[in-house]
Amino acid sequence: MTLLKVEGLNKLFGQHYALSGVDFELEPGEVHALVGENGAGKSTFIKIITGVYSLDAGTITWKGKKVTIPDPDSARQIGINVVHQDRHLIPSFSGYENLFLGLAYPKNKSRLGVSWKEMRLRADQLKAEYSVELDLSKPASRMSPPEKTMLEILRAMMLECKLLILDEPTASLTDQESERLFSLIGRLTQQGTAILYVSHRMDEIFRLSDRITVFRNGQRVDTVVGASTTKEQLIRLMSNAEVKQSLRRSGKKLTGEAVLKVNSLSTNDGKVKDTSLNVRKGEIVGIFGLAGAGRTELLETIYGLREAAGGSVEVGGKKLTKLSPRVALANGVILIPEERKRDALIMNMSIRENMTLPVLRRFSSGWKLRGRAERSEVASWMQEMNVKAAGPEQVVGQLSGGNQQKVVFAKALLSSPVLFLCDEPTQAVDVMTREEIHRLLKAQANKGGGVLFVSSDLQEVLDISDRLYVLHDSRIVAELDNDGVTSEQVLGYCYSHGKGSEHHG
Amino acid sequence: MVERSSSISYIRLIRTYGTVVAGLFIILAFSIMSPDSFASIDNAINISRQISFLVIIALGATLVMSVGEFDLSVGALASFGGVFAAKMAVAGYPIWITFLVPMVIAFGIGFINGWIITRFRVLSFITTLAMGTILGGLNFRLTGGATVFESIPDGFRYLGQKEWLGIPLLSFIMLIVTLIFWYVMTHMSFGRKLYAIGGNEAASRVAGVRVALNKNMAFALCGMLAALTGILMASRLGSAHPTGGDGLFLSAYAAAFLGMTSFKEGVPNIWGTFVGAAIIGVLANGLTILEVPTFMQDVITGCIVIAAVLMQKLGRGQG
Repeated sequence: MTLLKVEGLNKLFGQHYALSGVDFELEPGEVHALVGENGAGKSTFIKIITGVYSLDAGTITWKGKKVTIPDPDSARQIGINVVHQDRHLIPSFSGYENLFLGLAYPKNKSRLGVSWKEMRLRADQLKAEYSVELDLSKPASRMSPPEKTMLEILRAMMLECKLLILDEPTASLTDQESERLFSLIGRLTQQGTAILYVSHRMDEIFRLSDRITVFRNGQRVDTVVGASTTKEQLIRLMSNAEVKQSLRRSGKKLTGEAVLKVNSLSTNDGKVKDTSLNVRKGEIVGIFGLAGAGRTELLETIYGLREAAGGSVEVGGKKLTKLSPRVALANGVILIPEERKRDALIMNMSIRENMTLPVLRRFSSGWKLRGRAERSEVASWMQEMNVKAAGPEQVVGQLSGGNQQKVVFAKALLSSPVLFLCDEPTQAVDVMTREEIHRLLKAQANKGGGVLFVSSDLQEVLDISDRLYVLHDSRIVAELDNDGVTSEQVLGYCYSHGKGSEHHG
Repeated sequence: MVERSSSISYIRLIRTYGTVVAGLFIILAFSIMSPDSFASIDNAINISRQISFLVIIALGATLVMSVGEFDLSVGALASFGGVFAAKMAVAGYPIWITFLVPMVIAFGIGFINGWIITRFRVLSFITTLAMGTILGGLNFRLTGGATVFESIPDGFRYLGQKEWLGIPLLSFIMLIVTLIFWYVMTHMSFGRKLYAIGGNEAASRVAGVRVALNKNMAFALCGMLAALTGILMASRLGSAHPTGGDGLFLSAYAAAFLGMTSFKEGVPNIWGTFVGAAIIGVLANGLTILEVPTFMQDVITGCIVIAAVLMQKLGRGQG
């Protein structure tokens, strides 16, 4: 009997279909891989079957019965568990305590206290059952990444688990550690648990999975049998066939002088590894990479928000003596962060105060802020950017999301930058704003400035960049002139670099 | 629609000026209950002198709160300022030196507070609590546990006891310090940066604000103001006790929190703190005149602070 059957699943976010008409089937004891680009709908799909999101249309059949899954706890009760990339463990709790999170603790004789003995007994039984070796007495904070993953899987098995969803489980594991995970997966499937495996790593996918389902733009493209499919076929299925030609803004190759030159930049935590790149005057350069490739970290290191361990950054031919946001700003570099609410705006301050913060010195005579100059400059940028607000004194927190976005860009423009660093410039904005932002970036380049942006939206990268870098595992693996580049090619670079391979494109 | 928006602005008005109105109401009530003793010019002048210490120390607390931190060492710093200045005066240093040196040292101690907090990412709560404990011990070491009062020169008492045009110099000093810090917080880029850090530290960092340095400066200025408070108290009393300023610590934060409920809603601000300290001072004065015992004064003051903070939450649900 089919374990899980999903039919005609639709999910809308506003006007936009995150998933449309998805059909999906899963057999007991199979390893089923879920692949697709960033934003293809994998996460949304998982969130629906684990009860995080509600569905807008469609049916879910679980063990032959139609079910609704209103919340994550219900999913857990019927036997669907998920192990996330960002682990949901309480660091200061021991392994035992983490195992029993959300479950009724066994009581001791007094009926008041917790029976630690019974907790340990049950946990050790479970460990033996799946032959997992793990010291559960130490706190989660002292466990290594693979130990944490094992703990999460054990935790999923505390209740009868029929479907275990693993979301990028090997992202932080070494090869040997991954092997341990794979053998555990083997034991789980022998006992009839089905695994839904989400990963970007092709080798693993082909090694583990019985079947592979491909998502693209919120639709299920195909489900193939792993053994009879090649890597190339799979990448072709994933890449967007509709993008035939990129929509570049000009055919000419830019050979102007470099606005930005990054030489073998790296960080201590390994989030940026030996990265070199450059941006010329009037050029829009895109950085594409899959989730976890180190995109944000790269921009933040260039801007000086993260400490660099080695390498150098040159802006306009001048080597920066120190990497810090202050030095970057003084040299005309500005970063537009991905998380606007968190990193770009001060919600309880006015539009004016937000916009002039990076360049306060310009409005200060040393003793006094020149209010009139500040107000007039802010007003003109608000008009330029078409910010809809009661006035420059309105508190930013009261604005709509789109207008907050405009304030962020106006703030960046007000600092008259020579180089824009943009992190996911159009994430979570509507189509109109997206167009507007693209126009703005192009205008910035046409004025002779440089733009370096990262995006997880390949279409966007192909649409607006002159040149693009492909980032994989914190390294640049390819540099491509955006001249007839196809999404298939770009994805090929992302996927063809398996773990540990030191290949430079 | 019209009704709705008017009711919202009504709530906003209460939230913005409610504390000020409540303060005026308290003054009115005392004036009715005690028209002769309370409602007199002499008493008003008296109150202005009484609150001067609280206002100055609370301004320091306001600076630190504006960057989203706390300094629990202000009381001990005030005691330190008084004791150190008095000791120096006894030792025969020129008066202006006896005032300046403890303020500079306190500035340094405050900066160290800030440095530990920003450099090692420790909670300001713990760091400044420990610093306060250290200072408390040192204050006893400095004085041997006794009040410093013998052979303090007359000049030392000048600022604390003299009047000008019938108004105490202390009241003038309080006003000048308030005006200076009002200017710093609203008209200088330093103040803007402090508020930015308090509003969103991550965004301030992205905007190139030197978060650590500015925070350290806030702590340093807070320390300096606390020491100034202690020095002025010693000057007023003509003596200094090793725990003389400790009691101001809780009132300072009560004043700053009361202040957050006025003018700039939910944000520590200078005039708000001034009003907060004034309310606490008026309460203490009026209740004393009405012969309410001190412990009941504490009960009433505490209730009023809670009431003010609750009032600020009024209508918050709608955003």
